Amino acid sequence: MSNHDNKSAEAPGIAGGKSPSAPLIETINLYKSYFNEDLETPVLFDINLKIESGEFVAIMGPSGSGKSTLMHILGFLDVTTKGHYHFKGESTEEKVQDDLARIRAENISFVFQSFNLLPRTTVYDNVLLPLLYGTTPVHERRKRTLKAIESVGLADRTMFFSNQLSGGQQQRVAIARALVTEPEVIFADEPTGNLDSASGKHVMEILQNLNKEGHTIILVTHERTTAEHANRIIHIQDGRILTDEKGHTKRIASQVKQLK
Amino acid sequence: MLFRDTVTIALRAVSANRSRALLTMLGIIIAVGAVILMASIGKSMEGVILDQVSVLGPRTIAIWPGNKGPEGGSGTMNPEYDKLTISDVDALRKLSSITGVSPIIFVTGKVSYGRETSDTTAIGSTPDYYGSQNIEMQEGRFHDEEDENGIRAVAVLGADTATDLFGNSNPLGERIEIGDQKYTVVGVLKPAGSAFFQNLDERIVVPFSVAEVTMQRSYVDMTVAQATSNDVEYAADDIRYLLRKRHRIILPDNGSTDNDDFLVRTAAQAQEILGAVSLGLTLFITMIAGISLLVGGIGIMNIMLVAVTERTREIGLRKALGARRSDILRQFLVESILLTFLGGLFGLLIGIGINLLIVGVAQKFLAAYAFKLNTFAIILSVVSAAGTGLAFGIYPARKAASLNPIEALRYE
Repeated sequence: MSNHDNKSAEAPGIAGGKSPSAPLIETINLYKSYFNEDLETPVLFDINLKIESGEFVAIMGPSGSGKSTLMHILGFLDVTTKGHYHFKGESTEEKVQDDLARIRAENISFVFQSFNLLPRTTVYDNVLLPLLYGTTPVHERRKRTLKAIESVGLADRTMFFSNQLSGGQQQRVAIARALVTEPEVIFADEPTGNLDSASGKHVMEILQNLNKEGHTIILVTHERTTAEHANRIIHIQDGRILTDEKGHTKRIASQVKQLK
Repeated sequence: MLFRDTVTIALRAVSANRSRALLTMLGIIIAVGAVILMASIGKSMEGVILDQVSVLGPRTIAIWPGNKGPEGGSGTMNPEYDKLTISDVDALRKLSSITGVSPIIFVTGKVSYGRETSDTTAIGSTPDYYGSQNIEMQEGRFHDEEDENGIRAVAVLGADTATDLFGNSNPLGERIEIGDQKYTVVGVLKPAGSAFFQNLDERIVVPFSVAEVTMQRSYVDMTVAQATSNDVEYAADDIRYLLRKRHRIILPDNGSTDNDDFLVRTAAQAQEILGAVSLGLTLFITMIAGISLLVGGIGIMNIMLVAVTERTREIGLRKALGARRSDILRQFLVESILLTFLGGLFGLLIGIGINLLIVGVAQKFLAAYAFKLNTFAIILSVVSAAGTGLAFGIYPARKAASLNPIEALRYE
């Protein structure tokens, strides 16, 4: 507690070592390379990025641009090679595997292109899954699971097996699974990539509504129409941030297309 | 992650692939089943052996011709078959350390009464024989000294032999045939069970003097005596000393009994020998069980490796959702332990089941054979089965735990 008091004395408004003014996500001169034996393959160069709580950000770029790698680092599935990544004002470089797992369990969640639901498992158990790895009390699990399923409009499918659902429904289950831990940020990796346009639109509307309710959403996509749902588009090419614009996403997205 | 959740996941994984789980467990099932079965049989046999030793009485001493005794082969198979003579027996009777000396001659020949036959072997022995084995009479009488002295062809039948030959009718006074000689039945013995794997109720006892004449013998097949004190070994040494003197055998300085042409064994020694046999059997079973568990364990490891590969994406997903290395490690370890533990339980049930069947059959031949469970073997085998799951599950579980979540999620 003495540490806390010191910090409060230094800078009023800082609580628990985290500044309320610090962005949710901040990268400073972030580099990432993959190493195959002695061969270095650089993927990301000098990424400087700030994402505030409550934003809906689309990371756009062609395949091989490094957008997925960036998402993996921001989502604590991978670590930086050089540079800094601050999450909620806290440095993440010193964290060990189990700390990263804890952050994945408590603070963030993922929606994948291929849904990644457990087969032959009910919607309920799929959505419940992340709660098994977190600190949610056992008696709250059921309530939170049902609430998450209801929020994606699948209450009547709760006891269906995941493989009995359509693709769009499966992705909505995946979104419910991402919501159930009440994370600070949801990463969506090409969430519409495996869906027909109607289902894709529905899924994007759900994500948009979640953002309106206050959820931070980071979307990774190569599709302009999908990125248009966000209110900020970061365009990445060859491992570098090309553009980072907020506001009229339709216009930005089309500009990005022209840049290509 | 809660242990309860880990077990639930493992149970689901096992029940999702029931037939594969069962086939995987088979090695463990067989290993544990065999151990439980053999160990239970061993325990039952121990009971039978104890029962038999108590039938003979702890002071019983048996003397056989030949260096190896009954293990050296019976009859003329034994090159020293004629070394224990009737005059040796007369000399033994004079020893004060033993009493109730009963020489035995096997009376060969087909046993019949009219058209009924029995494959019983008859023995010729003295009236002391009955006393030495606590034999009781059901009806009629034992043969006595008068029968011996008069060389009277009388016979005393075991309970089963009496039933074989006479059914429900009264055998007393009837005449049976053994070889070419006719005998009058004077008594039927009470059912006595078995001793040393022989059914005691399947026997015929005739006077020693009659056997001596009909078999034209100057030697005996064996002799049974009782020590007069509890120092049975002292009495046995007395017998050995006497027989060596009579047979002019010099005991070498190293105490080796290789030169002896006879064998003296006490009930305690017989028990020790049977104990050694049962120890050998136990070691053999343990070895078989060890090998089966090893083979079963390798099967488990193989299937767990397959499961890790099959569920690579699932592992990646769980990690992305916040599972730690230790959560994944534990999940797969618990699954392999569950497989072997269930295998152990099934093996246990099957072993007990087969044992019950064997008991049902064995009791027809060995009255003293009772259903017994070897608790130690049960606990040990189920625990070692679960231990096998732990030992052989570690490698696949570590492999699962160390998977990179990004690569695992991409795995097709």
